[in-house]
Amino acid sequence: MAGTTDRGLLAPTDWKRPGVRWSTRLLHGALLAGLAVAGLGPMLWLAKAAVTPTQDTLRHPMSLWPNGIDLANLTEAWTRVEIDKYFFNTIALAAGSWAVQLLVAATGGYALAVLRPRLGRYLSGAVLATLFVPSVVLLVPLYLTILDPPVVGTSMLNTFWAVWLPAGANAFNVLLMQRFFANLPREIFEAARVDGAGPYRLFWSIVLPMSRPVIGVVSVFAVIASWKDFLWPMLVLPDPALQPLSVRLPALQQFVELDVFLAALAISSLIPIALFLVFQRLFLSSAGLGGAVKG
Amino acid sequence: MQTSRTAAAVAAAALTVAGLAACSDDGPDDGKTHITVTIDAGLEQPAIDAFNARVEQFEDANPDIDVETQEYTWTAGTFTAQLAGGTLPDVFVIPFTDGRGLIERGQIADISAYTAELPYRDAFNPNIAAAGEDADGNLWAVPIAAYGQGLHYNRTLFTAAGLDPDAPPTTWAEIQTAAKAISEATGEAGYSVMTNGNTGGWILTTVVDALGGRTEDAGTATIDTPQMREALAQLQSMRWDDDSMGDTLQYDWAGINQDFAAGRIGMYVSGGGNYGNLFTQNGLNPDDYGLTVLPLGDSPDAGVLGGGTLAAVSPGAEAAEQEAAVAWIDFYYMEKLTDQDAAVADAQVKAETGQPVGAPELPVFDQATYDEQQSWIAEYVNVPVEQMAPYTSQVFAQPLVNEPVTATQEVYAVLDTVVQSILTDENADVDALLETAQADAQAAMDAAA
Amino acid sequence: MTSTDTRTAGVADTQAGPPRAARPGRPRARLARARSGLHTLVFLAPMLVVFGVFSWLPIGRAVVMSFQRTNLVTDPVFVGFANFQQVFADPQLWTAIQNTGYFALLALVFGYPVPLVAAILMSEVRKARGLFSALAYLPVVVPPVVAVLLWKLFYDAGEDGVFNTVLSWFGIGPVAWLQDAQIVMPSLVLEATWAAAGGTVIIYLAALVGVDPSLYEAAEIDGAGVWRKLWHITLPQLRGVLLITFILQIIGTAQVFLEPFLFTDGGPANRTLTLLLLIYRYAFTNSLGGDYGAAAALSLMLAVVLAGFSMLYFRLTRKWSS
Repeated sequence: MAGTTDRGLLAPTDWKRPGVRWSTRLLHGALLAGLAVAGLGPMLWLAKAAVTPTQDTLRHPMSLWPNGIDLANLTEAWTRVEIDKYFFNTIALAAGSWAVQLLVAATGGYALAVLRPRLGRYLSGAVLATLFVPSVVLLVPLYLTILDPPVVGTSMLNTFWAVWLPAGANAFNVLLMQRFFANLPREIFEAARVDGAGPYRLFWSIVLPMSRPVIGVVSVFAVIASWKDFLWPMLVLPDPALQPLSVRLPALQQFVELDVFLAALAISSLIPIALFLVFQRLFLSSAGLGGAVKG
Repeated sequence: MQTSRTAAAVAAAALTVAGLAACSDDGPDDGKTHITVTIDAGLEQPAIDAFNARVEQFEDANPDIDVETQEYTWTAGTFTAQLAGGTLPDVFVIPFTDGRGLIERGQIADISAYTAELPYRDAFNPNIAAAGEDADGNLWAVPIAAYGQGLHYNRTLFTAAGLDPDAPPTTWAEIQTAAKAISEATGEAGYSVMTNGNTGGWILTTVVDALGGRTEDAGTATIDTPQMREALAQLQSMRWDDDSMGDTLQYDWAGINQDFAAGRIGMYVSGGGNYGNLFTQNGLNPDDYGLTVLPLGDSPDAGVLGGGTLAAVSPGAEAAEQEAAVAWIDFYYMEKLTDQDAAVADAQVKAETGQPVGAPELPVFDQATYDEQQSWIAEYVNVPVEQMAPYTSQVFAQPLVNEPVTATQEVYAVLDTVVQSILTDENADVDALLETAQADAQAAMDAAA
Repeated sequence: MTSTDTRTAGVADTQAGPPRAARPGRPRARLARARSGLHTLVFLAPMLVVFGVFSWLPIGRAVVMSFQRTNLVTDPVFVGFANFQQVFADPQLWTAIQNTGYFALLALVFGYPVPLVAAILMSEVRKARGLFSALAYLPVVVPPVVAVLLWKLFYDAGEDGVFNTVLSWFGIGPVAWLQDAQIVMPSLVLEATWAAAGGTVIIYLAALVGVDPSLYEAAEIDGAGVWRKLWHITLPQLRGVLLITFILQIIGTAQVFLEPFLFTDGGPANRTLTLLLLIYRYAFTNSLGGDYGAAAALSLMLAVVLAGFSMLYFRLTRKWSS
């Protein structure tokens, strides 16, 4: 794998040619400007609009505070819109989905890769097969399953479980974990077993601590997916008091004044953006993984 | 998605609060009957306070009933899923158009044994009661409000355009002229129409009816009529010749209310009782508000489309819950229409919390009962009645036309497409649009039969 | 069983390797395996339950439902292929297929070349590549609903709309972004591309960094210039990843829902009615009761097509990563 210090398409000799050097610099400058406008521009505009009175946003959308700043938007978004409530729901949904996904993927991957049950191959195949089934197929039957789940008996509509549990059925996570565990050196397991470690201690004290990277990747995928989800929580959480921001925001738009609504949008973007800035490397390496290794 | 006319009906119903719903939740075992009632989405705090005050009064009067609230607003886009999912509250509201079908399919609780006990059961206007009755005349769902369509207009924009806000348009041609004047003078939309979530069809049907046409003849779609063509031709003219319909051409019920309350629309057609929603959900400035009747065509069939709101009970509610639900319907929706003390108490709470009292509705009983009820609450009326006088002084004289009955929502959805095409495609082919719409509407009616 | 036995069994297992290597027929090994089977089952349980109830069962149910008429109120009735016939007879199906195809095509035109060019340029950045990556990826972390609602405002058709204000600086417009039958779909795709392109850039970038520098060096010895290296080495090396993102994008755009649902609700005049929106309407907004059978039938047909792409994707990723 070439690191950043290594060369790429352009050879060191290419870099010495002024024509190449300058045109590359020019292109890089243009690219940076383009990325800044496209990537950062809309978010900066949102940040500005969040503290701008409605009429200014409507009449002079590209002016900087022609009539002053209105910080009250933010507090009103918090109180009148009760954005804190929906924020909490969003976080609760993300946390629960994360926990279920991690539990299912870690235990399942461990069982398949390390404990290796007799029918493991077929189980892996059955999990893998679900990767080929696009989520659209599940929409209606899964909704009906939530309405009338086997065993439980009572409808899971309007409970967080309706979002948490289906999120756990993520084949990609299981296979990723399975593959990771399978690549761990088996001698360590054997040594632990000789020391008298049972399957539980092996899992908890040896395998999990060695799996931080893959746990990180699965966590990022789980949290991002949950934060982005819209259609499913909209279907299974019709009670507004339980809805996450993504479902609630479109409905709020109809009742809330534009400036307060934009403040609510800005607040909703804050946590994911902050998370991204803090865990940038993890995010970007997971994203790269998404295309290169997935499957 | 959000919608609709039901919402309009709801507005008329309660002015501030609508929907109830009730899903029989298994509440704590304290010997009480638990029911869920819902309040309108997106209310301002005073409206929520007013609603909670009513809940407390109800619980005081009925110590064995425990009331919980749930946000709910009927929309065409979400109701079916909620019904199938069993997530409706124990008491919920639906538009008149949906009553018959739900009753026939047994999708709402048969509460006729309890409604039969209501002292005013036989006082309903028979046409209105029919919306909530089964074939045998049993009342499964209680009509709580009725509305007739009206033309809402912004007096401030009228003045700015040099028009007299006390003399609103009385013909469709005058509406077109006024719209043009408003958009030229102020840059805002002179006239807007709803287009999305079945509301486009609702409003188009309203205009066709006002011109004397109908879109249905007993299960047969009659989309392509001279009145329909007249209505569409006028829309085309306002949109493409006059350019008086502004920049936003796609509205649902909530969206058009919001823009009207924000002063961006000169005139639009919606339920006559819409003031409550505009005020409580969208922060309308009362000084801007004006309301008049729809101009009716010369045809003897011309009439104002009306509808209403039914309060129904979830099919999952058990007997005790059904009884409690009917008690709530009686208390919250009906007593203020029939009982002087209740009417005054309701008006008083609303007035004290700054909620609108006195926005115009159509009577669900007879005219005398309605007038009497209005007199009880006269001293609390805080809506700009003067500005609604052009409506209230004429609407009772207008012939009322019921909404189409067969596959109403589906046909409205078909007509949505027609309206959207007219407004977004300058070269829209009306013949082709109506031919397709006629076929689609007939197919929807056949499927429903 | 005594402790001695346990230890012996453990040693025997260790010598034999992983548990599955234990031979049946030897009592101690069988016992050990039964016990380890129980442990294994404990670890498998969450996966079996969750996948069973929320994946395998619903998939099977989807197939069954597509042959049934069911509305949750009355008992389901088997109706053969009636649901499929009904779906095929629906004129909106062809509208939805055309719209979905158009969306997918535009998404390729907008979303394919730009990330590639950006990634190639970025791979040559020596300093602060992280800044480039972060800027490119930022839109991806904005919640999609927020992005759509924000862009809906940007797309305001009035002269004072955000985009129209910017266009007016160049003497263009105003454009009726979401209300013009010709422009509405490109508008939707533009937002969707903005929201997703960053992820594609990062994927390409990872692949570009992985290109073996010795390939370039060899080409340089043969006297190849920048363009020839780009054409003969870089792009062929990216072939696998390009194909993979292509397939991923097809699978994703065929199921597009959020943009048409929130921007336009399928309008104006069904110009943005997509397949998933149609499925959603069949199932959830029909006031005569949900037509779950038709929704399942259409889902299933779409799924069969997409599963083909998925399989292709799987074979490729396997090939490239092994």
